[in-house]
Amino acid sequence: MTRGDKLLAVGILLTAILAIAFPRLHSSLFPVATSSTRAVIKAQGKIVREVDLSDRGGRSIFVVNGRVGPSTLEVEGKRIRMKEANCPDKICVRQGWIENPGESIVCIPGEILIRIEGTAPLDAVTR
Amino acid sequence: MFSTRRLVFLSLLVALGSVLHVVEGLLLVPLPFPGVKLGLANIVTLFALHLYGFRAGMAVATARVFLGSLLGGVFLSPGFFLALSGAVACTLIMAILLKYTSCFSLIGISMAGAVGHNLGQLLTASLILRSSAVFYYLPVLLLAGVPTGIFTGYILKSLLDRLEKTGQLRGMTSE
Repeated sequence: MTRGDKLLAVGILLTAILAIAFPRLHSSLFPVATSSTRAVIKAQGKIVREVDLSDRGGRSIFVVNGRVGPSTLEVEGKRIRMKEANCPDKICVRQGWIENPGESIVCIPGEILIRIEGTAPLDAVTR
Repeated sequence: MFSTRRLVFLSLLVALGSVLHVVEGLLLVPLPFPGVKLGLANIVTLFALHLYGFRAGMAVATARVFLGSLLGGVFLSPGFFLALSGAVACTLIMAILLKYTSCFSLIGISMAGAVGHNLGQLLTASLILRSSAVFYYLPVLLLAGVPTGIFTGYILKSLLDRLEKTGQLRGMTSE
């Protein structure tokens, strides 16, 4: 390996580590109080479902229709996962549970996207 | 155009690349992240780029994706477009570095190619899913790109050394 190679490797690794560490550091230094998180589920470009992930210990299973047929999603308390899918690679299923805002599960063959969003608490609500 | 002799070598490289492309698709990397793989087919692309230049490298990379996807039965599926955009982006980056820089060995170029592959793929994935959420995977893919890039670059280097030593390399590059 030449000097250039080593610098490139270090550069890529540093970028990756910073990209992983910075959001975590930022949210622990400047915590934004999130009252609840929700999972936004998109299939083939459209939002098909939004699930409230506030921890009520509830467990629910539902089906989302993607490009390659139905996929089964499971919500358990604050976390969500792809339980079963018809896609060939099953990467989405192997990814397991996600629960933090910003995390996502992507199923490319099924064109399904699960993304967790935090909702900031409201000061007041007028009706 | 390419001479007949060169055309034969390029065809062999396309065949080799297609096989590696399919084999790689069958190997499951035990990581829950999409797109983390060794990039074995990239050895062939970089070989073609290094010996025969940009046009040959791009031809080998795209032909390999088309044939590999047909063999794997995923032609024109989202996975095919991901593979195609990854291969094109990777080839472009490696070609630019090969031509305009001299501070990288084939190992560094292969690493940069891995990063280019991931960027191209994520760009297409975000277009397919109409969401930028896939870039959440980028840091992990970058981390994985360094060892896999070194691995494939090292294999290519050993291959070239061996071909050089046995005198076969001259036969492959002569017109």
